Amino acid sequence: MSELLAAAPLVELKGVTRVFPGPVPALAGIELEVGEGEMVAVTGPSGCGKSTLLHLLAGIDSPTSGTVRVAGQNLAEIADLSTYRREEVGLVFQFHNLLPQLTALSNVELPMFGAGSGRRQRESRARELLAAVDLTGRERRLPTELSGGERQRVAIARALVNDPKLLLADEPTGSLDSATTSRFLELLRRLNSEGMTIVMVTHDADVAAHAHREIKMRDGLVIADESRRDVAASGEARRD
Amino acid sequence: MTFFGLILRNLWSKKARSIGLAFAVAIAVMAVVTLAVTSSGLEQSAAAIISVGKADFTVAQKGVADTLSSAIDEQQLATLQHTPGVASAVGVLVETEKINAQNPVFIEIGINPSDLAAFGVHVVAGTAYSETAAHEVMLGWRAAANLGLGVGDKFQANGTTNTVTGIYSTGNTFGDAGAMFPLPAIQGYNRVPGTVTLAFVKVAPGASIKPVAARINHDQPELTTILTAAEFGRADQNLVYLQAAVNGSTVLAILIGAVIVGNTMLLSLIERTREFGLLRAVGWTRRRTVGLLLSESLLLALAGAVVGVVLAFAITAILSRLPTLRGVLHPNFTEGAFWRALLTALVMTLIGAAYPTARAASLSPLRALSYE
Repeated sequence: MSELLAAAPLVELKGVTRVFPGPVPALAGIELEVGEGEMVAVTGPSGCGKSTLLHLLAGIDSPTSGTVRVAGQNLAEIADLSTYRREEVGLVFQFHNLLPQLTALSNVELPMFGAGSGRRQRESRARELLAAVDLTGRERRLPTELSGGERQRVAIARALVNDPKLLLADEPTGSLDSATTSRFLELLRRLNSEGMTIVMVTHDADVAAHAHREIKMRDGLVIADESRRDVAASGEARRD
Repeated sequence: MTFFGLILRNLWSKKARSIGLAFAVAIAVMAVVTLAVTSSGLEQSAAAIISVGKADFTVAQKGVADTLSSAIDEQQLATLQHTPGVASAVGVLVETEKINAQNPVFIEIGINPSDLAAFGVHVVAGTAYSETAAHEVMLGWRAAANLGLGVGDKFQANGTTNTVTGIYSTGNTFGDAGAMFPLPAIQGYNRVPGTVTLAFVKVAPGASIKPVAARINHDQPELTTILTAAEFGRADQNLVYLQAAVNGSTVLAILIGAVIVGNTMLLSLIERTREFGLLRAVGWTRRRTVGLLLSESLLLALAGAVVGVVLAFAITAILSRLPTLRGVLHPNFTEGAFWRALLTALVMTLIGAAYPTARAASLSPLRALSYE
């Protein structure tokens, strides 16, 4: 466990299950807390439920049972999850999911539609974010005119544009080469050092090593929860 | 980037699809507008006859297939003339004849010379024909100009050679493009002695038009009064059938267009499922996402409507120049035709978009994002 959890947790999952048609539940009763300012890596083999966990936190899927709380809000009780998705979380995908017809700048602006900001405000904020991820001068480029690493940085800028409390990344380095991965992780650490809470899903041990904390999953359960400064042997599956 | 800018960018990025959808709308709009303006032109031409005479209203036989088949006998005309409130009722016989290739539906009016003034006819050159003359005619000034004839010239019509005694003006384009004959002569040519096609009624000073018309309708139920061009269908069933055919074709065009629009939009939605999933995942509301899809379609519908109207202009111009349709087809581009175009495009798009937008609205962000 991290000492950052001493404060009230930003993310809190209690008895969370997610069942899809099939013999094995994607999540089989998860108990998890993530403190504000933590950088957590969720690891495990394919199909262990780590992406499902991230989808629940992102508000794009709902648990079959149990509660998911983010910043004190029970997501099941939020009438309009669109607002939650827009304002509370930022989501980075493995394959960036940038709209190919839009420039880097326009892609970053997308989550700001409906956030009550005007065109100039949107553009100014998007430029600021692109500068923060070292993409100044690339604003008018289409995704096809950017490298893989640049696209992923555009995706990060888009995820951060509404200043979310929580950044969620699903295999964010899965499509990047090692040099680009390294730069990308540096960027995540910088954001985390500035106070951003980050939960990223990865099956790359080197990537997970950059997090304060590694949550290992298997068959829909957390089987280990290790702090980098307090690496303990993997424990038994937690079925609290 | 504005929301409108995003719409334009999306449409531009899929040019072929956008052009295809707009073109589908344009074709349907073109069909609807072409039908509407040509039928309106036919209706206008047919109804123009009632505005030739300077009357308060026109009387015709009720429910005939077309106006020229209307028949009012001498007794009915006399009854009309003696109806309280009627100042005058001028009976005229109207027929059309193909004079030459340029004048396939030349209008000929049989009227007594004593009624010319009441009918609003001014003789601008020569004199009127005599009441019982067999081979005399007056030409409207437009007809005289078109045919290159003047007073004293010979005019072939009704299988006879007639001397042009005068040139007249009625102030009505339709009337001025025809000819006037002595009533008994034209009744003889058509073998309908004592019969007229229409009666043009003027009400007496101080009398109201509508009550007088209502009284005629009541007293002579086999006749009908026509106060406006819109009422012309009562005396011309062909126009009613024509209008019904145009309305039916419009509905058909809208349905065909809606199917094309719906199909294109559905393909577009399937192709862009991940895009819509992404928009929902980054916080777009259902309404905004559907709004984007619908706005794109409506913008294309608007473009299609404009193109459709332009195409309709071109098509009707070509049609009206065809030798078989020259002089028959008079496209009448009214404001209503443009509203009809816009309405067609919008209705077609909304019907076509109903299912795709409902499907877009029900998209789960997660499912959409994992769509292959």
